[in-house]
Amino acid sequence: MRRRAPLLAVLVLSMMLTHAAVASASSAVSSIELVEHAEKWDGVTITFTGEVIGEAMERGDITWLHVNDDPYALRTIPEGAEPSGFNSGQAIIVPTELARLVTGFGDYDTRGDIVEVTGVFHAADPEHGGDMTIEASSLKLIEPARPVEHNVPLGKLVWLAGLASLTAASYVAHRLRRSHHLA
Amino acid sequence: MARALILRPTAEDHRIIATYTGRVVVGVGLLMLFPLATAIAFAEWETAVDFGIGMFACMSFGFLLQAIFHTRNGLRRSHAFMIVSASWIAATLLGAIPLALAGHYSSFLDCVFDVMSGYTTTGLYLLQDLDHVANGLNMWRFVMTFAGGQGIIVMALTFLFKGTPGTFQLSVGEGKEERLLPNVINTARIIWMVSFVWMLVGTIALALIGLSLGQQPVRAALHGLWVFMGSFSTGGFAPQSYNTFWYHSPVFEAACIIIFFAGSLNFALHWAVWTKDRREILRSIETRSFAVTLTVLIAAASFGLAKANVYPEAVTLFRKVFYQLISAHTTTGFGTIYSRSFVTQWGPAAMFAIIIAMVIGGSSASTAGGIKGLRVGIITKSFIQDIRRMVSPDSAVVKIKYHHIRDTILTDEIVRGAFTITVAFLTMHAIVTFVGVLSGYPLVEAMFDGVSAASNTGLSCGVVAPGMPWGMELVLTIAMWLGRMEFLSVFALAGWAWSVVRGR
Repeated sequence: MRRRAPLLAVLVLSMMLTHAAVASASSAVSSIELVEHAEKWDGVTITFTGEVIGEAMERGDITWLHVNDDPYALRTIPEGAEPSGFNSGQAIIVPTELARLVTGFGDYDTRGDIVEVTGVFHAADPEHGGDMTIEASSLKLIEPARPVEHNVPLGKLVWLAGLASLTAASYVAHRLRRSHHLA
Repeated sequence: MARALILRPTAEDHRIIATYTGRVVVGVGLLMLFPLATAIAFAEWETAVDFGIGMFACMSFGFLLQAIFHTRNGLRRSHAFMIVSASWIAATLLGAIPLALAGHYSSFLDCVFDVMSGYTTTGLYLLQDLDHVANGLNMWRFVMTFAGGQGIIVMALTFLFKGTPGTFQLSVGEGKEERLLPNVINTARIIWMVSFVWMLVGTIALALIGLSLGQQPVRAALHGLWVFMGSFSTGGFAPQSYNTFWYHSPVFEAACIIIFFAGSLNFALHWAVWTKDRREILRSIETRSFAVTLTVLIAAASFGLAKANVYPEAVTLFRKVFYQLISAHTTTGFGTIYSRSFVTQWGPAAMFAIIIAMVIGGSSASTAGGIKGLRVGIITKSFIQDIRRMVSPDSAVVKIKYHHIRDTILTDEIVRGAFTITVAFLTMHAIVTFVGVLSGYPLVEAMFDGVSAASNTGLSCGVVAPGMPWGMELVLTIAMWLGRMEFLSVFALAGWAWSVVRGR
């Protein structure tokens, strides 16, 4: 554990810095703060900034979005970011016409739009099954989505070829041993 | 006093164990074809290479074991538990290779934790940035949990073994002691057939619901398949970091409940219902026990939450409590609240209700973990029997029956067996809780996540997270394995090691 302490300290620090970078743009409340002190923020109008991930689930006049304000909102692991903890974010309800402003959603191939939403935080929204939500009245695009480049490292291809050859050789050895035994 | 003679295993014993372990490992390699095909379909080339490496690592290891330790001798009872243990260790270490290559983990131990969590259908995870994970990698998480739910040995029995003596013991070693048909391989095939029918219906239902909720067709289909696999295996992995909170839908939640409740039922019960004996579901001691404990625990959790006034409306309160409680009781681990909300909103009373539900768990010979409803029912009946004996005349013979597929008279031997496993589980829960407290976590939180791991549930209140102390992580990994194997195979491994060292 002692050996890992400096690494953990760097990770925590980088998390705090990246968190602050996302949050400071809008004086936003972080998702961690909202979950940890839900009662305090219940019913308060807040501004929340982060990456829209997954998809927009349109349901008539309203649409569900999920906005993550974790370090991966700046750089995802498929883009080369170091692992720095779980994802964290909030479920957002927005009027459907606002949701259509979103141009791209975060996934393996995309770093999604960074948006800023302003709305009322509900610790347990009675109109939506007791879910913790932000009922947004405004949505602003801060930074558009970008595609994520993927390259296969040469080292992995070498390993693949080596293990494929070993598999073929071991299979032949297994079959020979078996046929020899049967004979 | 004479000491019992411990026989040292012979070279032939080791050859048999290695050969059969090799076969199972080849089977695990073949399982990687699913994530590999998914990665290719979505042009995720780096992920495809990762799974190619993982698959060839499994297959070369498996074929080498079979080539080096080749034997024509069949396995015997004494080998079965060791083969199960060795296979699980090899499958876990080799199954972690593609995860380690993906870059979403801080250490190889984290990868091993997730693979063990997948195979044991626990559902706790340490994967980071799940919301940007490749479809191929997500597919592997669900294939692991689905195959683990059926049993990786049962899988090998079905598709790779050809009627070998002692195969039933392999099945028992993996916690599947029900024999639906005289032939164990036919039994394994029936388990797969029942599961595949459920998979077809469940996936289509969830995908259609997803579409109606606003998901795009491809995502709805993938989520439908994955959430089905996570539900039916009572696994608890979900495709997004928000778990089933992602969908915000009572209909989706209801579909999940039906699927994971079905997954938590004894396969013998499935077979009885399948073969038209539908009354069995109402007569079984397991379903009755489950109904009683679930009702009591929902009432307890609701009372705790009502006092805290987290959900002012009764319908909302019931929806939240019912979902989390039945998820815990079936040891699924799906949630519709944030992990930390258990601590920051629900509080200790409701958390204790969830902990008790996780401790009890689902049905025996199912995909569920925990002590199991059958044992809780047997212990309860044994108390009733003792009370009846106390109030009956001395000359009276008090006999009590329970119904589990057939009527069985409760004997002291059955009660002792149920008590032994129950005490073993409770001891393990105490140990993991103690380790959590020693690692610096508050008692209730340490107990919540510790019991969740040991009962193969997967709910978390935030203790299991990247950066947790490695000693605790190792203990929880072993606890997941012990819980899934119900101790026998793991203890057999220790016994084998002892006999190698001290045997004559």
